Amino acid sequence: MSDWEQLQHILKCPIIAEDLLVSDHSEWTSLEPGTVIMDQAESLKAIWRVDHRTLRQLTIKRSTWTDTEKALVQWAVTQQVGQGSAGTFETDSKSDGERKSRALGDWIVQQAAIGGTETVPGSLATDGRLYAEMIPFLLETDHAAEASAFSELQKLLASFLDEEVIVIPLKAQEWLVLAPVSLTRDTLEERDDQTEMLEDSLASIGSGLQEMLASEWIGECHLAVGRPMKPVKSIVQSVMLLQETIELGRIFEMGSNIHLPWNMHLERLLISIPENVRMRYVEQAFGRSDVFMEPETLSTLETFFALDCNVSETAKKLYIHRNTLLYRLDKLKQESGLDVRVFRDAVLMKIILLLYKVTKRT
Amino acid sequence: MAGVRLEHVYKKYPGSDLASVKDINLDIKDKEFLVLVGPSGCGKSTTLRMIAGLEEISEGKLFIGDRLVNDVAPKDRDIAMVFQSYALYPHMNVYQNMAFGLKLRKFKKADIDKRVREAAKILDIEHLLDRKPKALSGGQRQRVALGRAIVREPQVFLMDEPLSNLDAKLRGQMRAEISKLAKRLETTVIYVTHDQVEAMTMGDRIVVMKDGIIQQAASPEELYNHPTNIFVAGFIGAPSMNFIAGSLTDKGGELRFKADGIDVVMPEGKAKILRDKGYANKEVILGIRPDDFHEEPVFMEASPNTIVSAHIDVAENLGHEMILYMNGIGTQAVTARVDGRSTLREGQNVKLAIDMNKAHIFDKESEQNVFEN
Repeated sequence: MSDWEQLQHILKCPIIAEDLLVSDHSEWTSLEPGTVIMDQAESLKAIWRVDHRTLRQLTIKRSTWTDTEKALVQWAVTQQVGQGSAGTFETDSKSDGERKSRALGDWIVQQAAIGGTETVPGSLATDGRLYAEMIPFLLETDHAAEASAFSELQKLLASFLDEEVIVIPLKAQEWLVLAPVSLTRDTLEERDDQTEMLEDSLASIGSGLQEMLASEWIGECHLAVGRPMKPVKSIVQSVMLLQETIELGRIFEMGSNIHLPWNMHLERLLISIPENVRMRYVEQAFGRSDVFMEPETLSTLETFFALDCNVSETAKKLYIHRNTLLYRLDKLKQESGLDVRVFRDAVLMKIILLLYKVTKRT
Repeated sequence: MAGVRLEHVYKKYPGSDLASVKDINLDIKDKEFLVLVGPSGCGKSTTLRMIAGLEEISEGKLFIGDRLVNDVAPKDRDIAMVFQSYALYPHMNVYQNMAFGLKLRKFKKADIDKRVREAAKILDIEHLLDRKPKALSGGQRQRVALGRAIVREPQVFLMDEPLSNLDAKLRGQMRAEISKLAKRLETTVIYVTHDQVEAMTMGDRIVVMKDGIIQQAASPEELYNHPTNIFVAGFIGAPSMNFIAGSLTDKGGELRFKADGIDVVMPEGKAKILRDKGYANKEVILGIRPDDFHEEPVFMEASPNTIVSAHIDVAENLGHEMILYMNGIGTQAVTARVDGRSTLREGQNVKLAIDMNKAHIFDKESEQNVFEN
């Protein structure tokens, strides 16, 4: 029987243990870790600080109290605080895991903000898997998750991947998931031709994961996948890269929810160019950026480039006749002076198209 | 199973003043197969994604059954989705792919097994249950994606261009199979496509959209025979309806449509409507379907007032029918569909009679069909 259950049994009344965020209860910000506040209004409450961001509150509903009973509660709580644990209910042990993950998440966010390259401090790297190679997935949800999101996501991922994963909450609506590399080995080894690249395997796992999370958990969300890395050494750099990948993906890959850093080299380069330089370049290279205002031109060019400038395949994909596509490309050539069937012009048009997307959105 | 109701639904994206979807009102009945169709960017996928819960509704109400679901998460809407870019779970075999949703919902193993095997039987993929997705062909993967949706036995199926990654032959097969499946499962289906052939062959009712607005929602027959405006008339039917700009002249008791190379008499019933609505002696647009040109002598003799002359630029013989691309009627090329046994050939001048009882007249300004509004 757990300590709180024993206390419930002795006092013959229900005891509710819950965790609160310090940020939601400014009145308790000054509470030192280990200090217990007893408050008796309609019920007796004991509040103490678990760590820098979490408070634990014990509510015991009972109208009358004797001094001995209050002393008993005080003693039981002090014992728990002294042990560095706030109870032995199953849910509490899970919250402990969440607290550790959140602490690591806070550290990653802090480090990422200053562009840090430090390894994870020993006090935060308590999970041995942080020393092994893991695949990082960064998840950004468009809707706020519920309070129970951490355990929900952890269970869902364990069930989906059939592997224990590490879930680290970062900012609001942003999660880092670390999965073992065995996940890709499975898919790679089963290839008959052994030619599938690691990146293809990561992309297909990412797509499946994103679709599952969208339909079975949170709805609209974006996911970036990175190459396997040792979290204890590279977690901050990996998170920074994946955050940038999603940011670029939202700008350059409208309509796609899975973003891969190895497909974003050109986009990363272009976004680093100062805005005024970008604008000037588009104006100089191509006076009429309003040509792109036509959705038809945009979708034609995007499909044409995605299919490696193959006219037949592009026409097929767009459900138009080959001659219709050629007519569109000729029209674009007339308006812009660039013939995208010629390599040099295609490169220039691709760059202008990307620059147009980023200037349009800034 | 349940119906779906959209009441004054709008979608606006942050940073944009314009709504991508405007004032959508739709009452989709239980077990109905509804197709949303329209060109790229018309708002059909956005509408479906709002029903799925993948896009927030900016304004308006969405009901599934009697439940208002605007703020209900996708997983709790009791819907199943199959998208164009469906992603099977690569590390799971076909059985696990289909079973996963049920496992999450804590179904008993025996129930999961029963549902998966039944769905696999329906989709003829029983022999593939142990395979991983990468060992499947495009058509087989598509079936697994459908199977994943079927096992859920949802209130509503949502499908967004599920066949567009398949080649033409397979697309035709799967089209028929999805229609059969919907009837067999007796479920509500909302299906998005840009392909009017898919729309016409699959839907109990078709919603034609353009620029985020519903242009017309009706049965395939109704859309084909009674299009409400030029957009719908031109979008539905292949080859497309011919549009000829000209004027209506009321002279000697006859109302005639005249343009370059065409001078035909409007049938009495249609003439009366046009006169009553004040279109006599006004400029209008005539709409004629390719099927409504006739070369048969009997028809020509019976309709001497609707005969036109044209030059055949191209004649495509498809065996059972021949498509003629002609000039000489109005200012643009005109298409006609005649019997495949026709002796007409490219380069010939031809006389054809128009079935004016099936002709449409559109207002030149509003582009609305005068007979349907």
